Amino acid sequence: MANLENAWLIALYPLISALLIMFFTHKSRPLSMGLSVSAVAIGFIHSLVLFLNFHDNHAHEVNFNWIKAGDFHLEMGYLVDKLAIGMLLTVTLVSFLVQIYTHAYMDEDEGYTRFYSYLSLFTFSMLGLVISTNLFQMYFFWELVGVCSFLLIGFWWYKPSAAHACKKAFVTNRVGDAGFLIGLMLLYAFTKDFWVNGIATMSFTSLQEAINYAIHNNGLELLGWVSVTSIGLLIFMGAMAKSAQFPLHIWLPDAMEGPTPISALIHAATMVAAGVYLLARIFPICSIEGSAALPVIAWIGGITAIFAATIALTQNDIKKALAYSTCSQLGYMVLAVGLGAPIIAMFHLITHAMFKAMLFLGSGSVILGCHHEQDMREMGGLRKYMPITAITFLIGTLSISGLPFMSGFWSKDMIIAKAFEVSPALFWIATSTALLTAFYMFRIYFKTFEGEYRGHAHPHEQPLAVTVPLMVLAVPSIILGLWGSPLLGYPLIHYFDSHFHAHGTGWGFFLHELSQPMGYLPLLSFIIGTSVAYLVYVKKKTINDKLVNVLAKEQFAWLYKGSVNKWYIDEAYEFVIGLFMKFFRATWKFFERVVIEGIFINGFAWRGSELVGEILKLTQNGRVQSYIAIMFVGLLFFVVMFLV
Amino acid sequence: MELFSEHSLSLQLTILLLSGLFIALTPLSERGSRITALTGSLAVLGIAAYQYFELLDFSKPTMQLVETYPWISDIKFSLGVDGLSFSMVLLMAILIPCAIIASKPIALKQKPRLYYALIIFLCLSVLAVFMAKDIFLFFLAWELELVPMYFLIAIWGSKNRNYASMKFLIYTFAAGACLLIGLFTLLAFSGFSSFDMVELAGIAKTFSLPIQALLFVLIGTCFLVKLPSVPFHTWLPDAHVEAPTPVSMLLAGILLKMGCYGLLRFALDFFPEVLHIFAPAIAVLGTVNIVFGAYSALIQTDFKKIIAYSSISHMGFILLGLSGLNTAGYSGAVFQMFSHGLISAALFMLVGMIYERTHTRELDNFGGLAKVMPKTFFIFKLAAMANLGLPGLSGFVGESLVFYGSFTSAYVGAGLNIIKLSAVIASVSLILTAAYMLWTNQRVFYGETKQVNLCLQDARKSEMFVLAILLALAIIYGVYPNFVNDIYEPQLNSLVNNLQ
Repeated sequence: MANLENAWLIALYPLISALLIMFFTHKSRPLSMGLSVSAVAIGFIHSLVLFLNFHDNHAHEVNFNWIKAGDFHLEMGYLVDKLAIGMLLTVTLVSFLVQIYTHAYMDEDEGYTRFYSYLSLFTFSMLGLVISTNLFQMYFFWELVGVCSFLLIGFWWYKPSAAHACKKAFVTNRVGDAGFLIGLMLLYAFTKDFWVNGIATMSFTSLQEAINYAIHNNGLELLGWVSVTSIGLLIFMGAMAKSAQFPLHIWLPDAMEGPTPISALIHAATMVAAGVYLLARIFPICSIEGSAALPVIAWIGGITAIFAATIALTQNDIKKALAYSTCSQLGYMVLAVGLGAPIIAMFHLITHAMFKAMLFLGSGSVILGCHHEQDMREMGGLRKYMPITAITFLIGTLSISGLPFMSGFWSKDMIIAKAFEVSPALFWIATSTALLTAFYMFRIYFKTFEGEYRGHAHPHEQPLAVTVPLMVLAVPSIILGLWGSPLLGYPLIHYFDSHFHAHGTGWGFFLHELSQPMGYLPLLSFIIGTSVAYLVYVKKKTINDKLVNVLAKEQFAWLYKGSVNKWYIDEAYEFVIGLFMKFFRATWKFFERVVIEGIFINGFAWRGSELVGEILKLTQNGRVQSYIAIMFVGLLFFVVMFLV
Repeated sequence: MELFSEHSLSLQLTILLLSGLFIALTPLSERGSRITALTGSLAVLGIAAYQYFELLDFSKPTMQLVETYPWISDIKFSLGVDGLSFSMVLLMAILIPCAIIASKPIALKQKPRLYYALIIFLCLSVLAVFMAKDIFLFFLAWELELVPMYFLIAIWGSKNRNYASMKFLIYTFAAGACLLIGLFTLLAFSGFSSFDMVELAGIAKTFSLPIQALLFVLIGTCFLVKLPSVPFHTWLPDAHVEAPTPVSMLLAGILLKMGCYGLLRFALDFFPEVLHIFAPAIAVLGTVNIVFGAYSALIQTDFKKIIAYSSISHMGFILLGLSGLNTAGYSGAVFQMFSHGLISAALFMLVGMIYERTHTRELDNFGGLAKVMPKTFFIFKLAAMANLGLPGLSGFVGESLVFYGSFTSAYVGAGLNIIKLSAVIASVSLILTAAYMLWTNQRVFYGETKQVNLCLQDARKSEMFVLAILLALAIIYGVYPNFVNDIYEPQLNSLVNNLQ
């Protein structure tokens, strides 16, 4: 099948367009835009063809040697399986729509073509990550998407906040990458003699066998400092940073300094989900019987989900609020993997990519409409001025909040149902998060689109380049979930299930949940969250003549302050880093000048070996002649010694 | 043609010697001497390319293109290259023209002929170090390099040049003394039977272990100073800060590689057994370098010092790679040498360009330069990414190999965990390097543009040309590392296998 053999082209198209734009067409806007958009459009069609024609249950992969040093070898290549196809479709579709949207959003920016070249570069890196055949290759592209994110967050480099945010994003990601790298080194050290006879080092398809081999032949423990668990968790560290999991989530909200198309594409739909994709890929390592990695992953996901939701409650910047919502939803996905259901995590990843991309693009449309205002206190009543944006935004809000039969409902409720089956504590966390999600999402919607307009600009609807992507994304936001729902017999779950065939099916729990009274809690939380938001922000209910939200702010002032200030996590980090820097600055001079130069070198030179001391004393006089003289005397001595 | 093939190494040296003498002895203008120097260095590059594509067979792990001429009784003027030394010859051949093109503003200041002649003689002596097959020639070339370097810093350097050049001299000279004693002892123990490095290497392996260890420490100390490694590193930041831009490029790109080359040559060829004993100590030293260099770079406020400390940090990877005792570690070390040569040269060039325009290196005086120097900004971002080891650029390849190599070290003994732990601690540099490179990037290029900096001129064509070549190579070797790796991998692999 030719399009299978050529699957690597899907990633290559955007690279070509990025290079062409960077070096040749950057002077021409339409040409650059056309190149970039058509590259990803071809990629989407190619992925679609793959999707329709690929029915194997095992992966098709091709590797070539990248570097070889003795018995150590690393490979690059491409891999097509159903998991990869699902991601390919998602990434190319969202990227395609975002690139169309970009045309309107960046129209007045002088960096228009530069932006397109970065977008293409990002799409290339992301697709490269998706078709990676082994962990090393994934690490390779993992860093590349990180650097594209860095470039795009810092796109408006003249803003000090953007300059700070892009550095923060990259360095935080590097913290995760360091863990990722150590995890890979550990994994490699224990499976070194497994990757022979042409098996690509750390290839995904052999991961399960390799880890079993390491346990049985190389004495890899299940628990402990050096164990299957620690390998899984160290690699998970990479996912934690990329998918903004607590406590490495701090970079994601700041990343909103980048232009909004970036927030939609990179920081909502695709790159941040790469962590979940990685977890799905290394699931064989994490799910080994006796490893404690999965519970840790589940708890980190659960904590992130509820933690980010509490912050999203009080944010006034529309993009920041959405960013925390992304963080919280990523927490759901990680939770799903931790619960042992990577398929559901992938399902939520795909539906979330659709509605969250739409929500971000919608917020961008609002920001454009309000003349670059991002504060929701300066918005309100925009539904009258921007009807298409408002309706699509409402669809997204309903989907993420979990209105029955919308995409978000199916995927999120499956996670909660799985939690119901596995761990009651996590079920309660997930359900409370659902309640908070419904509330804060409708808070955003109501504050932005309902009531009276509070700002001073003249809001207006956006051109087609903005509204068409919104409308297109609205379709999967509504119906894509059906594809994985019990109504159609879980086709999507079946599709991915063949990939994870070793790990049971497990969709019965969905109905199992509904057979018990507690199973209706997620639905209830949607109703409660939505109604409370409606009462507070639309009906503006009062208690003792005070608006409910004002009252809540006063009554729970410390909680409110905590939430608004993101629970002071940034401050804590800054404090610790500041302390370190102070310590570094204070000790460095001491080390360098006193210990090393003063005591060690000078002590060595003057009080130590007499010979060296003599030489140094002579050269210390500053005359080059004496130095040359010594050198030649030395040489002469040397020569004479041999001639005699 | 056969004549040419058989004498290509000496031809390279002769071309440099002649062009150096020509510049020194004829009344050329700056332009004339620059063109002469450039022609000479391009001829060297051309021959190196011919050697790479045609003359050398890298699958053979032995010395090739050997030329031997009678010299002083037993001491022969003997040249030869193997994979390890040829990778360095190639790096030099690439860097010399780059440094010469970048020299124009410096040479115009004063004494252009002397300047170019010294640069050529500097390169000549370093090239001879890499090509030397005779131990006396090796030592002679090693010491000769000091003289032009000293004068290049002392005459064309900036404010504190006398201090810096003298410091450089003292450190290197003391190191040279160590080397002299070491080599002399080595010869004494071998009974002065041969000066040929290949034969000596065979003889050295037969010594008893304590003697080998003694020699290794003596000779190794010299290379550690040159590398430079903590605690002998303090000459480097001073020398870099004071040295003019092209000299900095050569200093970081080639001169530090002399230390690495010497260390690898003697550790792998002469004293592999001792290396096996010292591996944990070397791993610790490497990690100290990596982390200390990065931490020093993090708190500097002088632009050039940051890059200088970054060099120290990256040199630590060579030590860490050595402790791997396997092909991956060794290959990583050599790749790191090659890649650092390209990247640090580009970074020092960038620093020099900005210094030339702003006359300051204090980071507080910059900010927002991206607006006035967009091309420089683009290149700097690329170079910074290469320096922090971004995949797809050459810095990543060496570091990866070193990490995997040292973590799976072939060391047998109780110290294995020390090596593994060192590799783990060294991975902190991933974070620190990103922090200081991006912070520097932010302080220099991002944010508001200062009033005084508004009329700065962007990179000139000649500057862009040099930078483009260096970084294009960093990308090519980063995407397909086998272009470089194939040069030395068979040789290192056979070294590893011979020992087992």
